[in-house]
Amino acid sequence: MQQTVTAEAGTAAAQDGTAGPNTDGTVPMPPPLGEHLASPALRSAMLVQQETLWAAREFLRSRGFTELLPPLVGPVTDPGGRGAKALDVDYYGEPYKLMTSAILYKQASLRGFGKLFYIAPNVRVEPPETAGTGRHLVEFHQIDVEMAGADRDTIQEIAAGLLTHVVAHVWRTVPEELTALGRDRADFAALLAGDFGTVTHAGAVERLAELGHAQSPDAEIDWAGEAVLSRQADRPFFINDYPKGSRGFYDREDHERPGVLRNFDLIAHGGYGELVSGSERESDYATIVTRMRESGENPAKYRWYLDLAREGIPASAGFGMGLQRLVRFLTGLDALWQVSAYPKLPGVVAP
Amino acid sequence: MSGLRAAGFPEREVRARARNGTAEVFPPADSYGDELFGEGHQDHERPASGSPDELDRARLVPPVFMPQRLEKLIELGSEPLYDDVDLSTAVGGFAATLPLYLSAFGSTRAGSGDLAVAASGQAARLGIPMVIGENMVPVHGYRRAGGLARSALPDRIAAYVEQVPDGVGGVVVQQSTEDADSEVWNLLYSDPGTRPLLESGRLGFELKIGQGAKPGLGGMTVVGADEAARLAGRFAVRDVLGPDGGQQLRCASPGTYTEEIVRQQLRFMRNNFPRARTWVKFHPGRDIADAAATAWRAGADAVTVDGAEGGSGWAPRVFLDQVGLPLAECLRRIGRPAGCLLATGRMWEGGRAVRALALGATAVGLGRAALVAVDEDPRDGLVRLVESLALESRLLISALGKYRVGALGPEDVWWDGDPAVRDAPAPTQTGTPS
Repeated sequence: MQQTVTAEAGTAAAQDGTAGPNTDGTVPMPPPLGEHLASPALRSAMLVQQETLWAAREFLRSRGFTELLPPLVGPVTDPGGRGAKALDVDYYGEPYKLMTSAILYKQASLRGFGKLFYIAPNVRVEPPETAGTGRHLVEFHQIDVEMAGADRDTIQEIAAGLLTHVVAHVWRTVPEELTALGRDRADFAALLAGDFGTVTHAGAVERLAELGHAQSPDAEIDWAGEAVLSRQADRPFFINDYPKGSRGFYDREDHERPGVLRNFDLIAHGGYGELVSGSERESDYATIVTRMRESGENPAKYRWYLDLAREGIPASAGFGMGLQRLVRFLTGLDALWQVSAYPKLPGVVAP
Repeated sequence: MSGLRAAGFPEREVRARARNGTAEVFPPADSYGDELFGEGHQDHERPASGSPDELDRARLVPPVFMPQRLEKLIELGSEPLYDDVDLSTAVGGFAATLPLYLSAFGSTRAGSGDLAVAASGQAARLGIPMVIGENMVPVHGYRRAGGLARSALPDRIAAYVEQVPDGVGGVVVQQSTEDADSEVWNLLYSDPGTRPLLESGRLGFELKIGQGAKPGLGGMTVVGADEAARLAGRFAVRDVLGPDGGQQLRCASPGTYTEEIVRQQLRFMRNNFPRARTWVKFHPGRDIADAAATAWRAGADAVTVDGAEGGSGWAPRVFLDQVGLPLAECLRRIGRPAGCLLATGRMWEGGRAVRALALGATAVGLGRAALVAVDEDPRDGLVRLVESLALESRLLISALGKYRVGALGPEDVWWDGDPAVRDAPAPTQTGTPS
């Protein structure tokens, strides 16, 4: 019998054909690793993942992006958000961190590579409460893209194009794996036609209020709210204009609308939730330092990055697309651990 | 020395500085860790100044006509007595049995050892919230090597969790600029050990912007040579305490704050830790009313004002004696609070506590008093001190013809001072969390 963990309060039970917890409000938990590695569902997921990676590289290279390999440890990493912690590493006596995301290195790399991407491994010690969302793993990968001189419209076009290309490729190459897992190509019709929705953060908050879900206008859309919006949609959609205070210091503030960031999430339909976070980036040194303070960071530990910013980092926009979330969306599996060969759930000590 | 004299001039202090240099800027380094500082502290060579302060000179003034006593009489059907006063209070999003909380002690030796653990357990038994100070993790670590023994922060939390009754109290943890490097809040929020607190809504985080003993400065401690070398990468360590004993001054940065930085940091806390309460602590700055209003508008569950009388930690003499607004003036400038206001500084008995409550505080914090009480008796010292304070508070509040803490008001306090100060209308702050 599979173990289960209670999903967070407020998460509605899954509807037919959509992702999410079981009808009793729980999500399935992984079996022992050996059993998991031998499961047919994981095998299907890995075939889908392999084609996903192939297609992502094909698309980005065709658009002139260069693949770099990301760093694994550094004196500083993405300060992240929502209570996740970086893992500490003793690096020749210096306190280093395992990368929670290589965003700062992406920006720095623009000095030599105007269009770059990583397939980046990340580690975030997520709060145990996220074990029940079906959307969080401690170890995960991102398709991490950055483009010098791009604005939000341009980078959203890249993100949407990447998603469309990957989904089309996977349906073309391994359709039997998707249908065996119960996926229906018709569920991807709008996506494959390149038809994506857009809503502002304020609009999403309003929508959630109409649906009776209390959502702070100053914060990220919470997990339960995101699930509600995702389940109601029949195509992927962007959420634009998150409020300052909900995202990292590197997301650029709109000069014309103080307090509003030039950033976005891309939410998959069907209850699968956030696939992508992205933004135009802050590149002005003094603004970066001030924004670091606004997010409670100690600028001293970002010295290498700030020194580069002082010399000049190109303006850019970029995003990270969660690889496991993308594969889960494609396969329709209930929980993110089902598409990871070696899953580590928040708060659960696993091999 | 030639025998030169300078009558009426602080000749002795000048000569001390001429002999000992910058070491004289501070209380004697050898008293560090055994003495508690803050205003009224009397170091070996200087008299205390300004004590009792304005808040202690003010008097509580019961009226003759007591309509609220009549209300209580009707409710009870018999004449109310002092023990009919209900002291239970909502403190910064937590339920508390009394309008009290245990203040942060900081990372000094006196405030982070066994006494602090003893105080934690007793605060839990009393059902009052507890604040744990900044710089605990970068100084003491979180888990000791091997993961068997734990260090000060989890020890204090464990002592609290073991003894707190259901439904009351809460633990609030500060994070300084240096703590941000150690991700103290992320560490606690993702630690399965704090889940019982998180799930019962009894975990909070406090943004510490300043403290009463040294407004405008960051934390300071005295460290020996070995510890100085160990901490040098994370804190500024300065050789200003003189050649004797090899002691050095460890300084944390105070952090830079503007109105926008305060607003955004509080929003960031609420965004990242949606299940934790959000507190903020200010030093007694001259713009305290604006600062408090900004914090409440940004959704802070509690704003703590540490009057210039506050502080258990190490501070330069000039700050102890000459810097920062007294608590009474802070409360006057804030006026009617737009949210939960917590006041600290020289609190230990019922009179000062009730005056602070009457002037707008929701609850008052015990800092030095709590450490001294557990030093007197590690098992029950704080409990007995608080029982005394609670009894006095009930006597006083009932004498004012009131039976709830929230019913107290500025009309209950008389200022024997400048009529202009006494009669100045309290500014009214408005604002709702945005």
